[in-house]
Amino acid sequence: MLSRLQAISVKVTDPFVSLSLVQASRSLQTSSQRLAPVPPLPDHGGKVRHGLIPEELFEFLYPKTGVTGPYMLGTGLIVYLLSKELYVINHETIYAICIGTIIVYGVKKYGATVAAFIDSINEEKVAKAQAAKDSHISFLTEAIENEKKEQWRVEGRGMLFDAKRNNVAMLLETNYRERQHMVTNEVKRRLDYQIALQHLNRRLQQEHMINWVEKNVISSITPQQEKESIAKCIADLKVLAKTTQAKAAA
Amino acid sequence: MTLSLFDQFLSPVVCWIPLVAIAITLPWILFPSPTTRWLNNRSLASQNWFLSQATSQIFLPINPPGHKWALLLSSLLIFLTTMNTAGLLPYTFTPTSQLSINMGLAGALWMGVVILGMRTQPTHSLGHLLPEGAPALLTPILVIIETISLFIRPIALGVRLTANLTAGHLLIQLTSTATLAMLTIMPVTAIFTGILLFLLALLEAAVALIQAYVFVLLLSLYLQENV
Repeated sequence: MLSRLQAISVKVTDPFVSLSLVQASRSLQTSSQRLAPVPPLPDHGGKVRHGLIPEELFEFLYPKTGVTGPYMLGTGLIVYLLSKELYVINHETIYAICIGTIIVYGVKKYGATVAAFIDSINEEKVAKAQAAKDSHISFLTEAIENEKKEQWRVEGRGMLFDAKRNNVAMLLETNYRERQHMVTNEVKRRLDYQIALQHLNRRLQQEHMINWVEKNVISSITPQQEKESIAKCIADLKVLAKTTQAKAAA
Repeated sequence: MTLSLFDQFLSPVVCWIPLVAIAITLPWILFPSPTTRWLNNRSLASQNWFLSQATSQIFLPINPPGHKWALLLSSLLIFLTTMNTAGLLPYTFTPTSQLSINMGLAGALWMGVVILGMRTQPTHSLGHLLPEGAPALLTPILVIIETISLFIRPIALGVRLTANLTAGHLLIQLTSTATLAMLTIMPVTAIFTGILLFLLALLEAAVALIQAYVFVLLLSLYLQENV
């Protein structure tokens, strides 16, 4: 209240000054007053006895009146109100008993279920956010793994290029050798041609010479010589035949 | 002192100070405004959940231009539900048992819906006066009947809520008076009347919620026709 009075009394338009004034007065209070982070909600509400009366009353009266103090106070109060007819029993009392029973029964029977359901609403909210966060994290982890795989693949790429380079070099080498082979073959062919040409020439020369010699020899043979040679041949043949017959008979 | 049965419906006054304003506005504190937290306590979480479910259900069949009415109808639902259920407690005054409040709400909202329909799409709104698929001969009579039914709607809305709640409260008062009177004379009969009172209280709780929902649902239906 004092802080509000302070804030109202000082007519400042600058929000920072007024805020700092409020904050300055708050230093007198014991709780930590900060705007963020928001202080967490307590897990359980204030303790109550019999669903209505806060526990603080019992603790307050305990030093003076002990355990039965608050109950005596309650009973005395009710008896006083009834006896002095400050509270008149009328039809509403009957109805109050009725609706009170219904409410108490309803809370006792369905209280836990309803509380669990309401807690599940909050938990669903948290679960959704958590699921979104988890899916994002898993997506990023997968992305990291894929990236690492890609890097490994890039390392292997060097080997691939080496192999390809070797392949290409081999192809070039093969091609070169083939062409060399072709060149040698062509040269050999041309040389063979020349050799065959020379052989042909020599053969023609030989044949021509032999033909000339034969011609000359045949033309030089006289008929006298021919007869003599034939007679000699016949005589030789006879001799041979005799010797053969003799060999055969022997 | 004998109380007349209808004294419970008198607008409460203490030393000539009318308390009806407090009776209407005090239940407002039961619905705290949403905090800056992401996860709230149970009561806020349940209120938010219920309100979002109810509003989405009510506005499911309404075209998008009618969604401007979401705030009005949802706050009306909360208002009526709270008034009705708070009236179930003993010694309380139920504002929605008064014809003045109900007719005020029903008349104003119905007229708003009809005027909206007549202004934005007059042909379509007037077309509702003749239902589809009706035989041509009955057209004049049907138009008259539909017009009468159109004008009876606000009265029906207001009186429905008033009558239900007044009747319920009256019955409760009667039964409880009977129980009290017979408690000393004929206790067994009083026990039976007491059981009747239990069942009646349960019925009244159901009626309180249902009547509020029906009011808002009918208004949303009229909106659906006209938007």
